[in-house]
Amino acid sequence: MDKYLIEVVEDDSSVRNLITVTLKANGYRYLSAMNGQSAVMEAACHNPDIILLDLGLPDMDGVEVIRRIRSWTETPIIVISARSDDDDKIEALDAGADDYLTKPFSVSELLARLRVTQRRIAHAGSSAAESIFHNGPLTVDYASGCASLKGAQLKLTPIEYKLLCLLARNVGKVLTHKYITQHIWGGNWESNIGSLRVFMATLRKKLDDGSGSAPLIQTHIGVGYRMLKQEAEDNNTQEG
Amino acid sequence: MKRSYRRFLLDLGCSLLVLSGATALGFLFDRWGFTNSNIMLLYQLGVLLIAIFTAHRSYSLLSAIASVFLFNYFFIQPKFTLNAYEAGYPVTFVVMFLTAFLSSSLAIQLKKSAKEKEEAAVLIENERLRSAILRTISHDLRTPLTAISGNASNLLSSEESFDAQTRRQLYADIYEDALWLTDLVENLLASTKLENGVALNLSVELADEILNEALQHVRSADHSQTIELMPMEELLLVKADARLIVQVVTNLVNNAIQYTPADSHIWISARRDGAMVSISVADDGPGIAPEDREKLFDSFYVGESRRSDGRRGLGLGLFLCRAIIQAHGGEIRVNDNEPHGAVFTFSLPAEEVEKHG
Repeated sequence: MDKYLIEVVEDDSSVRNLITVTLKANGYRYLSAMNGQSAVMEAACHNPDIILLDLGLPDMDGVEVIRRIRSWTETPIIVISARSDDDDKIEALDAGADDYLTKPFSVSELLARLRVTQRRIAHAGSSAAESIFHNGPLTVDYASGCASLKGAQLKLTPIEYKLLCLLARNVGKVLTHKYITQHIWGGNWESNIGSLRVFMATLRKKLDDGSGSAPLIQTHIGVGYRMLKQEAEDNNTQEG
Repeated sequence: MKRSYRRFLLDLGCSLLVLSGATALGFLFDRWGFTNSNIMLLYQLGVLLIAIFTAHRSYSLLSAIASVFLFNYFFIQPKFTLNAYEAGYPVTFVVMFLTAFLSSSLAIQLKKSAKEKEEAAVLIENERLRSAILRTISHDLRTPLTAISGNASNLLSSEESFDAQTRRQLYADIYEDALWLTDLVENLLASTKLENGVALNLSVELADEILNEALQHVRSADHSQTIELMPMEELLLVKADARLIVQVVTNLVNNAIQYTPADSHIWISARRDGAMVSISVADDGPGIAPEDREKLFDSFYVGESRRSDGRRGLGLGLFLCRAIIQAHGGEIRVNDNEPHGAVFTFSLPAEEVEKHG
């Protein structure tokens, strides 16, 4: 398959137009849906590679659309939301969305998110069952329980290693604070948010190879964290 | 629910206190040989006070009735009974009750109208502010909207007549104006959120992450100043609404970009300062005149010395910054930078975290 097929779910015609024109100009194939019902139908019939989903649809809640689509497929979903409220995004991410865009977004931002998701798809297809994870300078050996950066062994605390594995297993996907703390500590996530910040900061410091390249772990203020999938020849630093 | 219960207890206590006070004074008056009518006036005064200090008129009504009985019981012969020897007393009691009741009603009426007047004044002030905001917004929105619609309609109707460079300029202008409007909408949204008293979405945040996020929001296309985020020696955790603080830092940096010459430097730094974390945005531009500093954080204040070709801001940015920081329990101020320039510093409550695990 040479061209990715993107499903665009958006009820506002000018925004839909903006997205489809952008996709066409950048060599994607696309199909579009104007409401939740047809979004689910189209996804089932055409099996798109990536779904761009607006949360404010006329007929049903966007989060409900995610749940229905997730009932049979893991196709990456990028949520588009006009609401500046983080809670909607977090709800969508926890329901199974992979990433989000907030309106107004720039065209380059949209394309960057699509590239991130494509890398994730490529990664998932090639190395889902492998016990060793490679991402740019980072290597995680799940079987022996150690991680290295540019070949040098990383000295990680048990929590830092758990965090790193969680991010690596979900590479390319935005993980919410709640998701991460519940997987690392379990229980009441709000009391652990401070610890999460501290461990994430120390982990990130250890992952910084001093080359000034884009950080492996991205912060999403008010939402969560994500590990970016890097490609050997891709030194692209404009995600975000 | 609990609050109204407390209020009830408070009012009841106040009424009882005043009535027993009047009775105690009455005994003194009695001992000194004052006439009963003086004691009656004491009760009248008491009921009036109760009417002024309690929330509901039922307190003064009940107090008026109680005062009649108290007066009768303690001070009318035969004392310590509810009987009265003299034939005229029932009339006296009725008159006493009516006077107490009417004067307390008048007091309540007065209190009510004073409160109404106060509310009306607040309403007028809000209305004045609202119309000032609307006037300023509609005035300042028109400029970019005119540019956007004008440029777009030119491109739609006669795209071929422009050379490539002109066309590019028109597209760039549309884009710039749209970004400017986006900033404005963000600020307006944040200020309505604060105005409506929506609770802050407080969480433990790393200062570093907030500053990095804010730098991504700074309009990167149209400035030539050097922006530098100073490294921090320790992990600085703050208790804050991350979105709003990002907005504050973005506003401060955008301001620094707007009000400094092209080759200036802008430094962003954070440090621990006792129980607070101080975050500074410093520049080496011309600085801020002392007479401007006072008014800088007021709504709709726009400095006189602004770049003449720059877009006029709403004067909402710093006003909003101060409102956000104050809502966090911090403060914001501006100082001189050495040898020249301005330093905006704000503080946020620091947060200690014991590591779990």
